[in-house]
Amino acid sequence: MAAAPPARQGITRRQALSAAVAAGVGVGAVRLLGGALQNLGRTGTVVASGNSGGDWVSPLGSESARVMHLLRRATFGYTPAQLDSALSEGFSRTVDRLIETHPAEPPVLAEASTPGGRFPVAQMQQWWIDHMLATPTPFAERMTLFWHGHFTSDYRKAGDNTFMFWQNLTWRRMGMTDLRSMLMKVTTDPAMLRYLDLATSVASNPNENYSRELMELFSMGPGNYSEEDVRQGALALTGWQLPRPDSFDTVTVGAKTRRLPVYDSQKSGVFNPRRGYSGSVTFLGQIGRLDAEGVVDRILAQPATAPFIAGRVAQQFINGRPSASLTTSLGDAFRRSHYDLKTLMKALFTSDDFKAASSYRSLVKSPTEFMVHTARALGGPHPSKLIATSGAGMGQILFDPPDVGGWPNNESWISSNTVIERVNFVTAALAQARGSLPSAAYAATHHLDGVVGAQTAALFNQAADERAQWFIVLASPEFQLK
Amino acid sequence: MTDEIGINQLKRRDFLRAGLVFGAGAAGLAAGYAAVPDAFARAVYAAKQEGITNDHVLVMIQLAGGNDGLRTLVPLADPVLHDLRPKLAGSMVSQALPLNKSYGLNHNLPGIKALWDKGKVAIVQGVGYPNPTFSHFESIRIWETGDPTRRQVDGWLGRTLAQAYDSNGHPLTGCACGATDVPGALRDLQATMTVIQNQKTFGFTGGSEVEAAVGALYKGTPGIYGALFDTAIATATETVATLRTSSTGYQAMADYTDNVKLVYSSKNQLAAALQLAAQLIVTGTGVKLLHVTLGGFDTHYTELSRHDDLMGYLDSAVSAFYKDLAAHGKADKVLIATWSEFGRRPKENASGGTDHGAAAPLLLIGDPAKGGLYGEEPSLTALDGTGNLKYAVDFRSVYQEILSGHLGADSKGILGAGFDTVHFLKSPVSAA
Repeated sequence: MAAAPPARQGITRRQALSAAVAAGVGVGAVRLLGGALQNLGRTGTVVASGNSGGDWVSPLGSESARVMHLLRRATFGYTPAQLDSALSEGFSRTVDRLIETHPAEPPVLAEASTPGGRFPVAQMQQWWIDHMLATPTPFAERMTLFWHGHFTSDYRKAGDNTFMFWQNLTWRRMGMTDLRSMLMKVTTDPAMLRYLDLATSVASNPNENYSRELMELFSMGPGNYSEEDVRQGALALTGWQLPRPDSFDTVTVGAKTRRLPVYDSQKSGVFNPRRGYSGSVTFLGQIGRLDAEGVVDRILAQPATAPFIAGRVAQQFINGRPSASLTTSLGDAFRRSHYDLKTLMKALFTSDDFKAASSYRSLVKSPTEFMVHTARALGGPHPSKLIATSGAGMGQILFDPPDVGGWPNNESWISSNTVIERVNFVTAALAQARGSLPSAAYAATHHLDGVVGAQTAALFNQAADERAQWFIVLASPEFQLK
Repeated sequence: MTDEIGINQLKRRDFLRAGLVFGAGAAGLAAGYAAVPDAFARAVYAAKQEGITNDHVLVMIQLAGGNDGLRTLVPLADPVLHDLRPKLAGSMVSQALPLNKSYGLNHNLPGIKALWDKGKVAIVQGVGYPNPTFSHFESIRIWETGDPTRRQVDGWLGRTLAQAYDSNGHPLTGCACGATDVPGALRDLQATMTVIQNQKTFGFTGGSEVEAAVGALYKGTPGIYGALFDTAIATATETVATLRTSSTGYQAMADYTDNVKLVYSSKNQLAAALQLAAQLIVTGTGVKLLHVTLGGFDTHYTELSRHDDLMGYLDSAVSAFYKDLAAHGKADKVLIATWSEFGRRPKENASGGTDHGAAAPLLLIGDPAKGGLYGEEPSLTALDGTGNLKYAVDFRSVYQEILSGHLGADSKGILGAGFDTVHFLKSPVSAA
């Protein structure tokens, strides 16, 4: 708001706002006109929908609203052009396109070849945000973010930002392959070998960290394995080490000289049989010799695995508490397809639950989704740096999740601290968006579906100018939801 | 027909809310967070309850990741320690700061040792709960809710806020400093609490105009998150105003620094968080329950240097905090207590670290504490079936003493039962 020009017509902004507040009190529940897109007059008046304190009136009966719902959840929102193209394709063909299109590779991050990966993480964060904004395949970025939170690692403990960079490339390339390939890959991923200590686990005295989280967080969920399985799994998983560098570079930092690893290409961990355990283990009910692949296969043979992964995906894409029947049916389809992720995601997006009225605005946008959608909606030069530096106060720093559980979601994104930071981001993004803004009325219909609460409607209608209207749209509770 | 729809809607809402409260269980745990009830009382500032009248304050410091108790309170004379920890034991024993013949504090805790010498540090040994879980998230949840049966969803401090204080009228009664989301211990359906990550940036850019607009925007917000959003904005606005007054009335009387040596950088600025806590206490904002976190204790790997560094960070931050409170004449009001989801395995692993363990000591620091060692010395020779230390003191015994003895709250009402007493307070305000 600070960036807005002085209010017109002799009424100050504050008066306008007070009037809006007063008006808001009296505004009753007004049901939205038939379609989601027809409730704006030419003057840009917004009609409230959803009674105060009640539920949102779901517009998902309409195809266009379903398309917007899909793009908000699967692609960090949309530009007008992206939306137009999806609207002309329709919901089903858009789902197919999202799932079937091969992920576009991001541009090379030159810093990634810095010896020892000793380059600022901020460069990598900005690089990823830039790609989220520029990519022709944003669903791949959404899935990359999902896997980054699921098979999570953080740059602090990984201790080599090149390893984190590789992990990011891996999740993008593999995000829609199959769970078996991904579990194998994550087990020997260099950043993960460091993050959960498998790189230092040897047969004589195994480290349990990876074995436990592989089952608890990455595949089966708590309660589906015993402490003995954790120990035996840890034994079976010993012997993996970081990949050998192609060369070393000597770097002087202050008074110290360090020999830093240099890699000519992306690599996975290597198995060292002298450090690995070659005896028999009892793991998840079977006895025998087991290597990492065997561990993964035994996990995939457990009935808990498919519904657990289905539930994790459903929590991120359908609603915070997916029903047991949904996770069961998604899990069944997933397992029948040999854990094919395209099958799982297609079943999810085309499920009745996805378009149910109870799913409408049932998820809170993560900080990254909220900021990228803001940038897309406003158009203009990408505020990548602003986005990369604004996530911390909202609770999300890319490459730096709070713990091995990844990021919490929904309710955890809402606190006195995060709401201030979200509003401040909108103020900053509007300040950076110089020149004329796109139509705020378009934003109300196409980014808020024309489904707004009484207060949002009143404030939007009384805002002094387009910039103030944009502020109301982007700072509104409606825009924080997906 | 209309009635039927209405009833259906009502049921669905109730179901949704019930689902949010009770249905988060395993899925929520697996995702690494405790369930947050969405339906905070809509009339945020309407409810009024009789509060407790004493002016005591509690500061909980979470040592996240599982703090190694054996490296915090070090057994000095147990030869078994050296067998279990050939790499880790030597230096930790030889350098420890002796408290008596049998135990010493980690050598990087000189400030806390100085407070011990003045009788201001109580250490309860062997704290845990039956049938320990070794999952971070399940055990955090148990400590946060104070319920090993995992049925309770509200946090123990959140329930205290709801039952003993008018948090809905005064959202700063419970406050998480240095965080972005509400810690599980403070969560409760019926309570309001504040989260301040960094005081310097806590406020709306654009000032009162933006504040007014946002305040108007978030009123009666529809949907399952509506009440939570509206409450967060109302709390933020109220807190911004309080901090504006508070920051001008406070001058730090100690040297808080987050510029400390760590093996890898910390996610939490412990000293800054404690300085904010001191400001809130010193300037009489009415804050009662404060929560701060220091992460990085999951020392599966190179524990020697990592844990020592974390101990040093904890020591410098807590020492500054105590000094600051004392200089402002508030030290007699404030009890500082550490907690962690579990201790670590007595036997070290091949990575020079330790895996997830069970029982561990808790530190209670400040003028209200009665210095000394409490609980039972855990035995290194009588480990449980998983090779871990057996607990001797239920963690809820510690909560009980804090609630009834320090805050004067109804601990039985909050914890749902009575527990064995551990008398670690100098002059408890009421018996459990």
